[in-house]
Amino acid sequence: MNRTRIAIDVQDVVKTYEEGRIHALNGASLQVREGEFVAITGPSGCGKSTLLHLIAALDRPDSGRIAVNGVDLVHMRDLSLYRSHQVGLVFQLHNLLPTLSASANVQLPMYEAELSLWERRARAKRLLEAVGLGDRANTPPTKLSGGERQRVAIARALANDPPILLADEPTGNLDSKAGQMVLDLLRSIQRERGVTLVLVSHDLQIARAAQRIVRMLDGRVVDEGVASSATASGTAEGEE
Amino acid sequence: MPFFMLIFRNLLRQRIRTLLTAFGISLGITTVVALGIVTDGFKATAQQVLRAGGSDFAIGQAGSADLTFSTLTNDQLNAVAAYEGVEHATGVLMAVSRLGSNPFFIQLGVKPSDLQYFQVPLVAGRHLAPDGTNEILLGQEAASQLGKKVGDTVDLKDRTFTVVGIYRTRDTWQDGGGILPLATVQEYERKPGLMTLIYVKAKPGVNLDELTARIEKDHPELATLRTVSDYGDVDQGVQFMDAANLAISFLAVFIGGIGVMNTMVMSVMERTREFGILRAVGWRTRRVLQMVLGESILLCLIGSLVGSILAVIFTRLILIFPVVRSFLEPEYTPEVFIRGLVVGVAVALLGALYPAIRAVRLSPIQAIRYE
Repeated sequence: MNRTRIAIDVQDVVKTYEEGRIHALNGASLQVREGEFVAITGPSGCGKSTLLHLIAALDRPDSGRIAVNGVDLVHMRDLSLYRSHQVGLVFQLHNLLPTLSASANVQLPMYEAELSLWERRARAKRLLEAVGLGDRANTPPTKLSGGERQRVAIARALANDPPILLADEPTGNLDSKAGQMVLDLLRSIQRERGVTLVLVSHDLQIARAAQRIVRMLDGRVVDEGVASSATASGTAEGEE
Repeated sequence: MPFFMLIFRNLLRQRIRTLLTAFGISLGITTVVALGIVTDGFKATAQQVLRAGGSDFAIGQAGSADLTFSTLTNDQLNAVAAYEGVEHATGVLMAVSRLGSNPFFIQLGVKPSDLQYFQVPLVAGRHLAPDGTNEILLGQEAASQLGKKVGDTVDLKDRTFTVVGIYRTRDTWQDGGGILPLATVQEYERKPGLMTLIYVKAKPGVNLDELTARIEKDHPELATLRTVSDYGDVDQGVQFMDAANLAISFLAVFIGGIGVMNTMVMSVMERTREFGILRAVGWRTRRVLQMVLGESILLCLIGSLVGSILAVIFTRLILIFPVVRSFLEPEYTPEVFIRGLVVGVAVALLGALYPAIRAVRLSPIQAIRYE
């Protein structure tokens, strides 16, 4: 795989809410290489989650350019296919459907992948085993712990084997032990599958797990730094 | 999980609400289907009336609001009988009055001599005697309801008639009534020389279209009746029932649609965040629409099924009353049930359209943030 290729290219993106009264992004730019693990950090309200949501195509920017693996998201009419096959998204709140089992939740993105029922079930089983929940496939999210729910959400994000994984404060609602477990899982997935991982966190300690840390302030990327040996030990250096 | 099961499970989330909505829809469908069954039963009876006595067609007074108001004269009977293609024309005077517990006992006045042409198969006794002014033939259903047999008497219009025979035509309206001498019925109905219908038996090989067209051309005051649609020329009842059926179907769609819309709007609003999640994981707008419409259609199909079953039970129950049994045989045609199904699906689509559009209108992130 060519590691120097740009997977995510965000240029001068502006996003406002409430008829322009709230400026979430003020010309934010960001480039992420294929297979890279980047953490976006910054204070609350700096626009980091908005930027992640735009990359996930959950919303459209007011202006600027967002291209993911060469696909122009700003002008693409139907973003569903992109959302189902190009990106996997992990939210702070797991956002699982409480009435469905863990396996059924993991299968949700697969409905758009034209897989048979048996293929969907088998793939969900494999993914749940990969996140260490092979024995909880039929358990509804209400009977899982916070860490387990987030692991199911990670399995769901990987359902259609996307090349890009986006995580919005994935440990924000977990205790430190469960949070570390989720972070380790995301990191191992990024390494083993070679996916591009963009993680948003206000917690610098979490962000230090990344290869590169991007700091945002007032809707702009203001600083970038390489976390020292994130790939090896998880300790950071020079990100500030 | 199959997509269909996902739809089904969504309906089970709010079981009571789903059950109440399905029950509400089923009542509307019950009305539509039951009315259809009864209307078709009346149409079948009307068809039987036109072919009574084994005739090829009947003739009534054009433009009558009701069949019993049709008034024909002896001259008209003779004129019809004189046509070359007519083998025999039987004049019949119809009357309806109370007999026993039946307030709608149908009496047919027929000349006893015409009974060799106007065929009523006897199961007991004999036909009316040429001079038997106080004799009556009872249909098998009427005899059964009245508990009469040959030799018994019945009191009708302040007279006493002797039952001389019992017939069975397998026509509901005829088997629930009786046949008396024409002159007797004309006398107690105070309609001397008048008849309601002329039953025509054509000669073999005669083109009935040409014959009926010729009669109507020569006598514009007469309406020849061969089909149920012709029946409308002398009786507005069937047309009225058709119109009522249509109006009730529209009402059922409208009222049912509002009920379904209420349920689906609540369901969609409660699940706005969920739709956002589904869109976020890549569900296309079309699939979300399919899910919402699928839930509504499934809900209405359950309502239609229950409604159709209730309609069958209801139309069987009304036959407990002898008065209904004497002139109505419910017709359970596939068309009636298909109509119920179509109404159910129309209700589903009408009720779910707005909620479905609402479900996909928000951007995924707006939906996920929805409180």
